[in-house]
Amino acid sequence: MSGIKKILLGLLVILIMIQFIHPARNKSGQGMPNDISKMVAMPGDVRGILKKACYDCHSNNTDYPWYTYIQPMHWFMNYHIQSGKEELNFNEFGAYTPRRQQSKLRSIENSLKDGSMPLSSYTLIHRNAILSEAEKSLIINWVQTSKDSFKKESLTNP
Amino acid sequence: MKNIILSMAASILFLAACNNETKKKETTDSISATTVDTASKSQQNSPIHNIIRAYLQLKNALAKDNDKDAASSGKALEAALAGFDKSSLTAEKAKLYEDIATDAKEHAEHIGANVGNIKHQREHFETLSQDIYDLVKGFGAGQKLYVDHCPMYNENKGANWISESKDISNPYLGQSMPTCGTVKEELQ
Repeated sequence: MSGIKKILLGLLVILIMIQFIHPARNKSGQGMPNDISKMVAMPGDVRGILKKACYDCHSNNTDYPWYTYIQPMHWFMNYHIQSGKEELNFNEFGAYTPRRQQSKLRSIENSLKDGSMPLSSYTLIHRNAILSEAEKSLIINWVQTSKDSFKKESLTNP
Repeated sequence: MKNIILSMAASILFLAACNNETKKKETTDSISATTVDTASKSQQNSPIHNIIRAYLQLKNALAKDNDKDAASSGKALEAALAGFDKSSLTAEKAKLYEDIATDAKEHAEHIGANVGNIKHQREHFETLSQDIYDLVKGFGAGQKLYVDHCPMYNENKGANWISESKDISNPYLGQSMPTCGTVKEELQ
């Protein structure tokens, strides 16, 4: 066997072995006292959009697509979920300080306007997470309303 | 069988080697970022002088449309925020600092990570400027600072920044409109 063949065979064996290793799944199933919907009114259409396009990486419950059952896809996905939740977790939004809540809402608005979110590497496979202009402006309007209502709240009870 | 084990070992080594290299690069990057401009220690009579200095460097980099310098100043700012000594503060002041710094650190981190995307750096700079303003209000500037306002940024929504000089040098519009803006407030 040539050297290249050996390395390819080695990689194949590793590929098979990692199929048996999977990180814990992002499924809490717990009640969510700090969820953003507990703080601000969230209309059904807004919730639907957030759920299909954002919650996989920005909440405590991921809807796992089939290919994440194959490694190393699960690791990639897991990495995205971890960094996504670190940046913003809709289920933990109420635990942020008022300053960070404002900051996060502003970032949601900016990333939608810039098109940096949802990530293009994610929408490449999750075609239904691609947001139409109408959906984007619906979310942006909702963010702006929420920003104002949070501001009032934090002024009345600092 | 022996062959397979050997080649597996070889491939694992190969993968590990790749990983190592990227890690090493990251550490040298952060070291060089934290040592940026430690020489100029002119304004030290505010507890947050390190933070202000890094912010002003960042502001000047953005005014020159320099995303790379902005990123390294962002990293320096992140380090200054993390390295701030809260031990001498009252509980109330420590809480105030924690609240502002947690937010500011995130913005600084994003600015540091976005070489090549100055638009995104500026978005974070806008919120960051509010944080720095609140820090200066809470802890003092130790030097004369100016709060400047640019009415045109972000589709005429406008944005503020803090500057060490009375002359306008706009970090949001950069060299396309370097002198757009007015002084709104003076801080001491």
